[in-house]
Amino acid sequence: MSQESSVTSEILNEKNKQEVRCRFCNSLMLKEQEGTYESKQFDLPLTHQKNTKDINTIETESLSDFWVINDMFTFENIGFSNTVDKRKFLICADCDMGPVGYHDIDTKKCYVALKRVHHGKEPAKTLTNNS
Amino acid sequence: MAKTYDYLFKLLLIGDSGVGKTCILFRFSEDAFNTTFISTIGIDFKIRTIELDGKKIKLQIWDTAGQERFRTITTAYYRGAMGIMLVYDITQEKSFENIKNWIRNIEENASADVEKMLLGNKCELNEKRQVSRERGEQLAVEYGIKFMETSAKASINVEEAFLTLASDIKAKMEKRMEANNPPKGGHQLKQNDHRKAESWLSRCSLL
Repeated sequence: MSQESSVTSEILNEKNKQEVRCRFCNSLMLKEQEGTYESKQFDLPLTHQKNTKDINTIETESLSDFWVINDMFTFENIGFSNTVDKRKFLICADCDMGPVGYHDIDTKKCYVALKRVHHGKEPAKTLTNNS
Repeated sequence: MAKTYDYLFKLLLIGDSGVGKTCILFRFSEDAFNTTFISTIGIDFKIRTIELDGKKIKLQIWDTAGQERFRTITTAYYRGAMGIMLVYDITQEKSFENIKNWIRNIEENASADVEKMLLGNKCELNEKRQVSRERGEQLAVEYGIKFMETSAKASINVEEAFLTLASDIKAKMEKRMEANNPPKGGHQLKQNDHRKAESWLSRCSLL
């Protein structure tokens, strides 16, 4: 399946059709129909940084599909990092893997990258930590 | 938009450095996770959803983020806190003795009716134990608060401790609401402690 069609198939009434879970431990982050789809470009830091010595060069990945959550308490389980440049990064509340998205301090909105999470009730297929 | 939950409780973890507070909230293991982007910038708080007596409760849980090294925690950190986990390490006598100081700090800075609970953490390290379970229990009785021994590492009683604290805050709030809005007629208050008896030692994977 192409990237585009797999994104489209996750959207129902402009919201997430299925539950949003951690790709690593299957922890429930968001229930169905709680996040609104938005297409926008954002450079999200990679979970694993190859260069760990220099904190100033953060390796990122350009992502364009997000679930927008207006109130952080809409999440079932989620973790927030410390603030960096008016943003907090979102992580799994159970295994701390992430970032799966970010929280904007000014607008108070949360953005979860579709590519960084698992959709559905069934656990994700075996994944390694290399993302 | 309508709220999808019944209550929101802000909880704090307090205690000496090294007692494992961070492990209770965060689970960085010693393996590959330590080289991640997140472990570099650190974690601020977590949101967890639990259900008690059919009510959906959101917990916002904060760690002291190293402030405890200065042996005191500022009023700002306590603002709005409804529950506090006082944590010591059963293998560190000093951390147990300091609980009294932390309680004084809480009394000076936090809201007077904040719900407290005492946790003796690292109970998986029984061979290195310096503080007996009885002493923990006794101190808790002295302050009129609940007590549990936990192991963040072995996931023993951690979730149960949060459920207990949340349940006590909820009971207190409902009592207060009941007092503010007295029910008409012969309404009877429901006992909502049924959960505790069934699962004091059991655990699942919510927290």
